[in-house]
Amino acid sequence: MSLSRSPSPRPGGGWSSPGLTPSGTSTPRGFSPSPSSLAPSEISWAAAKAKSEEVRGYPSFSTRNSGFFSRQKRRISARLPSMARQWSWRTILEDADAAKEDAGLGRAYAGVHWIFLLLALGSETYREQTVIVHLYRRSPLGGGRKFVIILGSNVEGGVMEWKGAREWAIERNSIWNKELYAHEWGYELEVANLLAKKRYSHEWRESWEKGDVIREVMQKYPHAEWFWWLDLNTWVMEYGTSLQSHIFSHLEDKVYRDINVNNPLNITHPLPEFWLDEVGRSAEGDGRPESINMLLTQDCSGFNLGSFFLRRSLWTDRLLDAWWDPVMYEQMHMNWEHKEQNALEWIYQSQPWIRSSVAFLPQRSINSFPPGACGEEENPAIHYQEKDRDFLVNMAGCMYGRDCWSEMHHYRAVSNKHNKTWKEWCEQTYSGIHDWFFKPEDVQEQE
Amino acid sequence: MQFALPPRKSPHPLPSVHSSRLPYYRKKQLKTVALFAIAVLVIIFLLPKLFSSSPISSAAPAGTAGVVIVTLLDRDNLSEGYIQKIVSNREDYAKRHGYTNFFANTSDYSDAVGDSPNSWALIPAVRHAMATYPRSAYYFHLSPHALIMNPSKSLKSHILDKSRLESLMLKDLPVVPPDSIIKTFSHLKEKDIDFIATQDSTDISPASFILKNGDFARFFLDFWFEPLFRNYKFVKAEVHGLDHIMQWHPTVLARTALVPQRLLNAYSKDSSGASADGSYKDGDFLIRFPACDSSPAGPPHDCGEMESYYMIWQRKVQNE
Repeated sequence: MSLSRSPSPRPGGGWSSPGLTPSGTSTPRGFSPSPSSLAPSEISWAAAKAKSEEVRGYPSFSTRNSGFFSRQKRRISARLPSMARQWSWRTILEDADAAKEDAGLGRAYAGVHWIFLLLALGSETYREQTVIVHLYRRSPLGGGRKFVIILGSNVEGGVMEWKGAREWAIERNSIWNKELYAHEWGYELEVANLLAKKRYSHEWRESWEKGDVIREVMQKYPHAEWFWWLDLNTWVMEYGTSLQSHIFSHLEDKVYRDINVNNPLNITHPLPEFWLDEVGRSAEGDGRPESINMLLTQDCSGFNLGSFFLRRSLWTDRLLDAWWDPVMYEQMHMNWEHKEQNALEWIYQSQPWIRSSVAFLPQRSINSFPPGACGEEENPAIHYQEKDRDFLVNMAGCMYGRDCWSEMHHYRAVSNKHNKTWKEWCEQTYSGIHDWFFKPEDVQEQE
Repeated sequence: MQFALPPRKSPHPLPSVHSSRLPYYRKKQLKTVALFAIAVLVIIFLLPKLFSSSPISSAAPAGTAGVVIVTLLDRDNLSEGYIQKIVSNREDYAKRHGYTNFFANTSDYSDAVGDSPNSWALIPAVRHAMATYPRSAYYFHLSPHALIMNPSKSLKSHILDKSRLESLMLKDLPVVPPDSIIKTFSHLKEKDIDFIATQDSTDISPASFILKNGDFARFFLDFWFEPLFRNYKFVKAEVHGLDHIMQWHPTVLARTALVPQRLLNAYSKDSSGASADGSYKDGDFLIRFPACDSSPAGPPHDCGEMESYYMIWQRKVQNE
């Protein structure tokens, strides 16, 4: 059989190609095969597509709305200092000082922080102040809307497998955990229902739906800049840590772009090809934090996509577009055991434009593993360290011979313990400040 | 003495809370109002500053200008005399418009191409031109089996000019002729376009295209050169590779303009496969000889079809 040209898209979706269709006919001229020979698969594909349309209301790609103004707005919000860290009037002052250090607009932003500080001081009750703080964090100035958390839910649920009480508990708890965290910092949370799995099973591309979901969420939240994908089996441990203070306010210090720092896959880096430009042959891309469009971690065996960030950009549109391709998939689907994760590893190695915009975070900064994942031995680069108050635990692989629910239960308890003390601390600090500011005046009034 | 009215002003006013000290709740209200007013004023003051940061360049880096003409010469298969002719044709054209020539040698990229057909080498060659001339605004790839017949036309006036390109772009056209269900976008503007090419009767032709410098160019070339595409044994190698990514990847198609074939890729009258109105006519910008692409094995050779056109071009240049 000759592989004349590429498998061509067919009307209504799907494709036909020599390696994947049982009939073995290739489609050199567009989409010639007679409808009857493909009837069964056509029908099920259409049904699956209709079903997924119910879930997804957004087209997967748009060339519109990429105008100057929307780009400008994002850029502006990206530059704004954030009301990061645990809230208190003191942190607002610190932010204002930090903002002053920035060149140019810094001084102006510092003024805005002072306004919120004054407003916060002007209000009397803790409740009022909390409301103002949350309003600020959600506002364009606070920067909370820059971030969207996407939680992949309903994994293995729905039509494919029976979902028991434990699975429901995991889902409920995991969503609660992300809701709490997102509310605390004014982030958006999108629970991605992966119910439409059937569609991908038919297309032989299940688990690439991550990319489609992210694209849809990007259209739904046009103001957001960073999109944080989280698998369901994760737990945010530290509610008091904002993404801004944890990573994004000091992006260039938190990441490594040269994969040789930790290279479990032994990827050749930087690329030696003489015909590539400087950026293509550089170990660190162009070195500017603005060129980082993807943040992920590596575990003991390579890239891990249980917890990763994508930035809204042309680069990201292209990545999500290039991530799955029928010709690549047809040749590799037997080898890509971890599907989209392996596909990303592949294109990272084979296409230079990818690596110049990918940066890595140390695994424990957003993706600590519980003991038992990645080998039995405790590895301080990989496994959760309570004394360091790691930010997030990813119970990766817990469905293979471990107990997902008991692990989640355990980490929920640990997290509650930490955050209770934080709240107490916060209340104490607050009442101290309140007394110091307002007690004398009250006393004076009464006299 | 009686007063009809109480005295207008008491010399000893009663102590009043209203005059000097406001009640506590009132003071609080005023404080809130004042703070709010300050906040509003400062925001009004700041807004213009927030929206005046420098624009970002999503396409070409700042300060790019000019055109680099990329010609990939297979020195193992083309005769020395033939290469001389092509080089003089390109150099004449570049000199007229201040363009730069980049002549690449196919065998330089044989490591990169690997076991795939040599014709894939055009992709690393264009990438190499980008690395060598990073300040250039455009890269014009032209097959070695083509002659520029009307060198007075600059690429800008011929195609690249904003209104010119927008009038030339073929909209809602099947990407791969004749009947691909994927069609070119109909709402694109000149600023959206990074890649300009033509179709013949069967494919998008990579033998002659213009690529704008920038991130898209890197993405496009790297993606096109993907080892799994080279490995797939497309019958027409990189030609079908290009058809493939155009049909399956909207981020590529969304930056692409297809223009009528004769503008950039007119076929000689002896060659088959030209689109309707795709054959060379006198006065066209260039002529291509696609039959010469499939070079037979053996000693270095010429492209016989080209000879007569080369004479015409030579006479034209000498008369000027």
